[in-house]
Amino acid sequence: MTDQLTYPDVVNYAVPFFIVAILLELVWIVVKGRGGRYETRDALTSLIMGAGNVASGILLGFIAWGFFMLLWQITPLDLGTSVWVVVLCFVLDDLRYYWVHRFGHRIRWVWASHVNHHSSQHYNLTTALRQTWTGTFTFMMIVRAPLILLGFHPAMVLFCGGLNLIYQFWIHTEAIHKLPRWFESIMNTPSHHRVHHGRNARYLDCNYAGVFIIWDKMFGTFVPEQDDEKVDYGLVHNLGTFNPLRVAFHEWIGIFKDMSQSGLTLRERLMYAVAPPGWSHDQSRETSDQIKASHLAHHPEDRGTPGFS
Amino acid sequence: MPLEILLILVVGGISGIAVILHLLGLTSPRRLRDAEDARAAWLREFPYELPTDITLSADQRAALITTQAGPGLVWCLGADTVSRPLSGSDLSVTKNGLRVDFHDVGAPHARISLPDADRQKWRDLMRTA
Ligand SMILES: [Zn+2]
Ligand SMILES: [Zn+2]
Repeated sequence: MTDQLTYPDVVNYAVPFFIVAILLELVWIVVKGRGGRYETRDALTSLIMGAGNVASGILLGFIAWGFFMLLWQITPLDLGTSVWVVVLCFVLDDLRYYWVHRFGHRIRWVWASHVNHHSSQHYNLTTALRQTWTGTFTFMMIVRAPLILLGFHPAMVLFCGGLNLIYQFWIHTEAIHKLPRWFESIMNTPSHHRVHHGRNARYLDCNYAGVFIIWDKMFGTFVPEQDDEKVDYGLVHNLGTFNPLRVAFHEWIGIFKDMSQSGLTLRERLMYAVAPPGWSHDQSRETSDQIKASHLAHHPEDRGTPGFS
Repeated sequence: MPLEILLILVVGGISGIAVILHLLGLTSPRRLRDAEDARAAWLREFPYELPTDITLSADQRAALITTQAGPGLVWCLGADTVSRPLSGSDLSVTKNGLRVDFHDVGAPHARISLPDADRQKWRDLMRTA
């Protein structure tokens, strides 16, 4: 019977709210003269990436959905649809988000999809919408399998995932400095997520949280925003293009080029896909760990401070 | 939500926001103020490859950086800058200056607009630096 369960497609319904919020943030920045930056082509690219993400969901969503419904057929468990089950589902799906996001930064195959979210040098509400087109190809839907096997209906899991994404929209802003201490200690906030978008050596690979920052604190990846080190947004090597097709596919093409070089061992070819971003067979590039190590070699005084432990 | 409504919202929202930003004068505002600004832009991406010489383009939208490890380019993109070493890139002459092809999907090329007088100087620097 619960095979027929449906929830509203929350992300689509949030589109008018996204547009209004972006206009409000823009007015705030223009009137106050602070609180963030906008640039036409950067914002346009981010918005097109967001639209493409919705389109890819419509076109390719059936793949993940088919996988989830298959799991739902085999599991003997059904937790039902009570409010508390939905709340529990939301919390556990946020834990799922933490790990998918962490894999997204530590496995180049998954990074190839997630990189575009970090490809802007800006940090405003349009950056939140700079979402991947290629998420399906990372196979990260597997991380949701335990939730469905535990008896959470696939439609409920996707509903919670949608709410999670909507929560993350408003934290992509420089207009909010810091929120009350209790809120900053439990929830993901603009301050925590700014750090996540940083290309500073200190801020690489931390604050993977979606809604609750507690996961980063539990798993040792939390770095608080430092008053004396402003976040520099973007990639270690920033993109030299606003072309949405290049933004969407550049890292996938990079993987393919690296893997198909001549003279590599099978292991080296595989490592170009599954090792952390920046791995290379000839040490010609740097991973985030190596970037942090070079930073410490030049700034030994930073050893043991947040992000360099 | 019906697909047509979603489509109208998305297309209308995106183009509306882009038009407003452009009318506010927020399109491609970045210029390199001076050599110091270009140096900072380079060091942002290559903190340990110290510039030994910096040549700014007349329109202040690009700078040629000389380092021990070879020449590199800083150029303006939107409100920000991008930097790349020039090794492995291809240089060609265009109507307005030079074009560098990086063979990099994420940074395919940079167009440097240069007056005729500067063009040869830049080409020599890029080759010998
Ligand atoms: Zn991320
Ligand atoms: Zn983000």
